[in-house]
Amino acid sequence: MPPTTSPDARARLWRAAQLAPVLSVLVLLFGGALVLALAQSLGFAPWFGVNTFPDPSYFGSLWGSADFWVSLGLTLAYALAATGLALILGTALALALVRAFRGQRLYKYIYKLPLMIPYTVGIALAVLMLGNGGMVSRLAAFVGLIDSPGEFPRILNTHYGWGIIAVYVWKQTPFVALSVYAVLLGIGRDTSEAAAILGANRRQIFWRVTLPQILPGIVSAALICFAFNVGAFEAPFILGGGYPDTLPVVAWRYFNDADYTLQIQGMAVVVSIALVAGLILFAWLALYRWQERRMGRR
Amino acid sequence: MKRTVALAGLLTLTTAPLALAQDAAAFRDAFLAGETGWPAVEARARDEGEVNFYYWGGSDLLNVWVDSMAVPALATKGVTLNPIRITSTKDVVDVILAEKAAGKRLGDGSVDVLWVNGENFATLKVQDGLFGSFAQLLPTSANIEWNAEDPRSLLNLRDFGVETGGAEMPWSGEQYVCAYNGDTVEEDALPATFDQLKAYLTENPGRFTYVKPPHYLGNTFVQQAVYAFNPDGTGAEPFQQNRDDIAPEELARLIAPGLEYLKSLEPLLLNGSDSGARYPEDPAAIDGMFLNGEVDFNCKFGIYAVSTGLSTGTYPEAAREFIFPEKGMIKNKNYLAIPANAPNPAAALVLVDWMTTVDAQATKLEATGFPAGIDGWTLELSDRAALESASPGLIALTEEDLEANAVPDTNATLVDVIEAVWLDYIERDSTEGIEALVQRAYETLGQ
Repeated sequence: MPPTTSPDARARLWRAAQLAPVLSVLVLLFGGALVLALAQSLGFAPWFGVNTFPDPSYFGSLWGSADFWVSLGLTLAYALAATGLALILGTALALALVRAFRGQRLYKYIYKLPLMIPYTVGIALAVLMLGNGGMVSRLAAFVGLIDSPGEFPRILNTHYGWGIIAVYVWKQTPFVALSVYAVLLGIGRDTSEAAAILGANRRQIFWRVTLPQILPGIVSAALICFAFNVGAFEAPFILGGGYPDTLPVVAWRYFNDADYTLQIQGMAVVVSIALVAGLILFAWLALYRWQERRMGRR
Repeated sequence: MKRTVALAGLLTLTTAPLALAQDAAAFRDAFLAGETGWPAVEARARDEGEVNFYYWGGSDLLNVWVDSMAVPALATKGVTLNPIRITSTKDVVDVILAEKAAGKRLGDGSVDVLWVNGENFATLKVQDGLFGSFAQLLPTSANIEWNAEDPRSLLNLRDFGVETGGAEMPWSGEQYVCAYNGDTVEEDALPATFDQLKAYLTENPGRFTYVKPPHYLGNTFVQQAVYAFNPDGTGAEPFQQNRDDIAPEELARLIAPGLEYLKSLEPLLLNGSDSGARYPEDPAAIDGMFLNGEVDFNCKFGIYAVSTGLSTGTYPEAAREFIFPEKGMIKNKNYLAIPANAPNPAAALVLVDWMTTVDAQATKLEATGFPAGIDGWTLELSDRAALESASPGLIALTEEDLEANAVPDTNATLVDVIEAVWLDYIERDSTEGIEALVQRAYETLGQ
């Protein structure tokens, strides 16, 4: 007689099997790395001959230096500016896409193009186009606006971070548009049409009807973009203005130093980035939940 | 019967690599003691079958040369050369030391041969990560000057002031040299000293920058400035000592004028009058700035760089080299080292030996413009002629000019200190005095 299992247990087993792959990756790789990073930043690195765990001095010297706060400010400024711009442009794009216009089908394919192109290619494009030896500066020199490409106003490698923000916005606008567009398709046009019939103008319809409906899409897209922007390394490394650097670049400089013990300091930077990003994302979500409850949604 | 033969064959197949790994240490000891003949090394290399060569892959010309010359040459010796192109040598040093820490001994690591010099070699040496004193035991070591009484042997015996001890073999030599574009800069306006450079930049603000330390190119520029402003007027001489032999106060006194000069130069550098001087991260970045006409001078290791650039068409036709700074152009060599946990030690020896042959050196020089690492005066006349005819040639300079202005590198242990002080004093604009910064660098580095 074959062993019997109740349908209930089988369902539980099936659910566990469904969850296991993702869960094991998250717990083992991501969680494990996080625990290891935290332990290292607190002075646990016997493989470099350092073991003073638990030793908060690495965080102490990091947070005690003015450099750290300047770097943190730069990191947050670039991340916020890029996320904000991408949200505005992406939402506008999504709203435009739900209306019918000529060439809409083609445009719906074209706008997703940056999503398929990796960030590094976007960075290379920025260097080729916007750099002081790039296409734009060469064209300006060619038509005689400036004497040599080198005189073109600096866009990349300054602390204003235009290059970094440009790459983030270029890549993330379609991402925001995609997620908002999906929500817009889901809610349909009934409510906004009803509001129009009741006499609301376009501005009222957007702020009172459409925006609250697409807010979940905007919030989740903003979370993903912001979290990426805070932790991203390549764009600020290649397009940034040098010292003071953003925090991920600071961490890299520590890791790349010939002096091994500085790697622990680098780990403290990494943990700090995780802390700051985690706190901001948590606050942002809490604010959103509070807003939802206030509006009577759960 | 058939089955047992097959089984035995399978067994030898599977146990052979194991046996090789086990007797790797014995092979090393016998070889380093001079008890192993070269044919035995070559036979073992054939058994090992492959060699993993890790090197900086940033030069397409070198990559093509490795694929088209080195790989076939090793194949004729029954060894498959696996070129592993890397962006940072330091990463590979990390790998070697991490594997060593994980208990991987000779025969079971992953790096056989590494292109290395300076701080990275010093790290490997301090951490006991090298195979041993092999260089003078190779047949082609006759192409290198080892006689310590000949001053020309210095670059073979010392790498950034650290004794090589035969643990690495010279592969290429270089000298720090600057290039300019004759179409944009008049020849008589060229600076020959650091003071003249400053005067030039006062006239033409923002037309110069140097690679940022801790990149070795940046460190080299800083060292040259430090030599030039050495208050005792003894140039490079005091910087040949180990960190343990020079007190921090004394080092601070010696380097302070040079760093003060670099600090005063900062507002005159590229973008310096605007939002802060822009220091490129690597040679590729400064090449781009020079070729775009953003800066007037391109200073880096590359005595044949202009010649190679002209023949590949990347440099402007009026590009020339010039002497800067007079009596202070740092010259050094770079080397091939074998790590202590090389998986294929015999094949590694065979590779390094081939790399030191006249044939390999001449074709490399011709294809890539990287100067030879072997010493011309040790060669037979015909070999010397082959090497000379392979040289891409200097543009607007002579070998005698370069030799007359050559100075040695700074000791690797002092490079770390000067680098740390530059980062604090110039990049981070620290208000602490240079002496305090040197003191702190001694403490952190001494840990």
